[in-house]
Amino acid sequence: MSEQATGLGHGVASLVKGLIPYLLAVVASFIAAGIFIAAMGFDVLHAYSTILFTSFKTPYGFIQTLLKFVPLLLQALAFTVPLIAGKYNIGGEGQLIVGAIGATAVGIMLAGLPLPLLLPLVLLAGIVFGGFWAAIPAWLLYRFGINEILTTVMMNFISFSLIDYVATEIWRDPAAGHPTTVPIGVGGELPLLVARPPLNSGIVLALAVAILVYVYASRTPGGYELVASGANPRASRVFGINVRRMFLLSLILGGALAGLSGAIEVTGVQHRLIEGLQSNFLLLGIIIGLISRGNLLAVPFVAFFIAVLEVGASAMQRTMMIPVEMVLIVEALVLLFVLLSDVVRRR
Amino acid sequence: MKNSTMLEMKGVRKSFGTVVALGDVSLQLNSNEIHGLLGGNGAGKTTLMNVLYGLYKPEAGDIYLRDKQVEIQSPRDAIKYGIGMVHQHFLQIDSYTVTENIVLGTPLKNRPTLNLDQEEQRIADLSKRFGLEVNPRSLIEELPMGIRQRVEILKALYRGVDILILDEPTTSLTPQEVDSLFQSLRVMVEQGMSVVFITHKLREVLRVCDRISVLRDGKNVLTLSRDEVSEEALVNAMVGAGMDVEKSLVFSATDLDQKVAHVGQKPVLHVEDLQVANEEGTPLIKDVSFRIHEKEIFGIAGVAGNGQQELVESLMGIRPVANGQVSMDGSSIVGIETRELLEMGITYIPEDRLQDGFLPTASVAQNLILGYQRQKPYRRGSFLDWSAIFRVARQLISEYNIMTPSASEVAANLSGGNIQRVMLARAFSQPAKFLLAHNPTRGLDIRSMEFVYSKLLELKAQGLATLLLSEDLDELLLLCDRIATIYRGQIVGVLARGEFDKYKIGRMMSGVETHE
Repeated sequence: MSEQATGLGHGVASLVKGLIPYLLAVVASFIAAGIFIAAMGFDVLHAYSTILFTSFKTPYGFIQTLLKFVPLLLQALAFTVPLIAGKYNIGGEGQLIVGAIGATAVGIMLAGLPLPLLLPLVLLAGIVFGGFWAAIPAWLLYRFGINEILTTVMMNFISFSLIDYVATEIWRDPAAGHPTTVPIGVGGELPLLVARPPLNSGIVLALAVAILVYVYASRTPGGYELVASGANPRASRVFGINVRRMFLLSLILGGALAGLSGAIEVTGVQHRLIEGLQSNFLLLGIIIGLISRGNLLAVPFVAFFIAVLEVGASAMQRTMMIPVEMVLIVEALVLLFVLLSDVVRRR
Repeated sequence: MKNSTMLEMKGVRKSFGTVVALGDVSLQLNSNEIHGLLGGNGAGKTTLMNVLYGLYKPEAGDIYLRDKQVEIQSPRDAIKYGIGMVHQHFLQIDSYTVTENIVLGTPLKNRPTLNLDQEEQRIADLSKRFGLEVNPRSLIEELPMGIRQRVEILKALYRGVDILILDEPTTSLTPQEVDSLFQSLRVMVEQGMSVVFITHKLREVLRVCDRISVLRDGKNVLTLSRDEVSEEALVNAMVGAGMDVEKSLVFSATDLDQKVAHVGQKPVLHVEDLQVANEEGTPLIKDVSFRIHEKEIFGIAGVAGNGQQELVESLMGIRPVANGQVSMDGSSIVGIETRELLEMGITYIPEDRLQDGFLPTASVAQNLILGYQRQKPYRRGSFLDWSAIFRVARQLISEYNIMTPSASEVAANLSGGNIQRVMLARAFSQPAKFLLAHNPTRGLDIRSMEFVYSKLLELKAQGLATLLLSEDLDELLLLCDRIATIYRGQIVGVLARGEFDKYKIGRMMSGVETHE
């Protein structure tokens, strides 16, 4: 029964129907951005085929895409889970950084431990540190009602200084030209799924987490309360849901997810802490979350699509000298058109 | 006194989206008459008058004022043509005086100095002439609802209207205030005005109106003069075929003694010296005590805003109790969380369904389990049992006649009446010992009211103790075994069935009398 598979009110049929505005939005944004690319004097079709097909032409391109996909998926979830409860976590970046710091610290300090012990500890440290970083704004919201948008953003700035301090003062790698720590213990590295080009097992972890989050939100009473708190906090309170606690929980959960993405960057990709490892994942995560409109089933697909665009964009810049920012414009346009399709449908 | 045609509306049509609110409705209004516009909720009464007042633009239809066609695009036009309307919800500025509220938006004599003496004199004259007693210098916020309504009527009279539309004017009035309103209306029509009186209450129409038009489902059913109509004909016109008026609870005489089963002996809810305060410590509920027994419907009458909401919230654990004791089945429930109260068998129908009981972006099924998501059969282990949830939801949808394409439909697409049915279905679906119902029939059509009444009596017969707070005194007189009246946070009297007296309750509602 498809009706029963609709924990969040999105059945298979409605998913298909829901896809149409997305596709239209994508096409419209490609057309709009194409005008700019043409005006700049580039070959539009060549540019787009580079953007769309780089990921699928070579194993290298595909693995690059999967590596991008992991942090994007987790960042998007870190934004979406609080969004379901009606709260805005704009601190995924800081939570990622602090999670990465936690993972690195454990990875360096306990470097001698074997993999079965060290790896879980490193990942756990990322989750706990990320959750802690979100817990500060969450508690300020719970206790004093301070707007979480402001506090989560400000926590990002603190994390920038923190990573600087850790990477240049505490565990600095003197050989590196850029603020970087020494590597973590070998036992803390995520095993590879594919050796050449290297693909770490972070993607398995990320997908498992995405499934867990979906099951939590759509199949458990706690998830129901999360959805209810977002839908109408007052009614939820009247009917016995501790809404403020749900807000607190959703933000901490978001922080933990972002922290995990930081830990995977460390254990899977860099094997050390490097300043700037957060890339523009926060921004893209928010875009993915907003395009998905809080639908946890849509998040992985949108995240994959954005990862394809991102990888394609780098290729486009290398081969055609089109600035990589062009793709950010396309992504922003997709979001705008998706939001616009809402307005159009309401008419 | 001569009756000439004052106003005619012909072939008015208005739809909202796919819903046809008015389909080809006509209305003829004479001078010197009180014209009753009768119909259940959703019949189109208010929509028709909003068209006349220029608030809605009809798709078709003409308006003739004294046989001349007029275009009414806005309330400003309506007032220009001498048409005034008093809505159910008043648009008044609380911190202004009566005079200031009335003259707002009209040309003033002494604009630079804002000396309102002349205006005040005119208001005092009008007030005397029509028997609408009010002190022009009082602040609006200090006035009870009945007086605030007079201000609203004076506002229209001050602008020189000769057609006055009143939308459900008796809703928040005491019986005495209703009498005095009707007297004033009589004076108005004797002086040549026309009054349109919108209501769903049959008896009021029969008491005061000269002619009566009945609307049903956005269509004219009939227009008759007072001496031509019988109560039965009006009832049939209002509800249409397919409802057994003979057995109807809504239209039955207020004395239901035969139908009311015996009240049980065992007290279920015991409230003693309850005190509730707001954040600043101002007491809102003062020393309220009552007991509700098994098989008892205990009513609380009162003008809205006398502490009803605070009482309800404190009983539901939403608002802290400052002092006093509340116990259910002998054990205290003060300080227990709402969720546990729901699990213990308290069930709740909130007054403000959209704010306090409804998840607009969630599905109908999700709405139906709000508050019970951790209970059986909705929960299995640490997971929700969606197949059980949908099975129950489909049952409730058919049992409560909720109009929705499916249980997974987004609840925001439901109409107001159907949203209320969701609230009722949720409350009544749970095994309960104590039901807390706050204005459960507000905004419902007659069939749905009928349904709620029979359900309340059915559950009562099964042993449920019910606390029913209602702004509709007739509803309380019909259903309750005892009626308490609340005034400024205090219970000023409790009457048992047999000693019910509408006017006595009315006097208690306005604080001029206490009982015991």
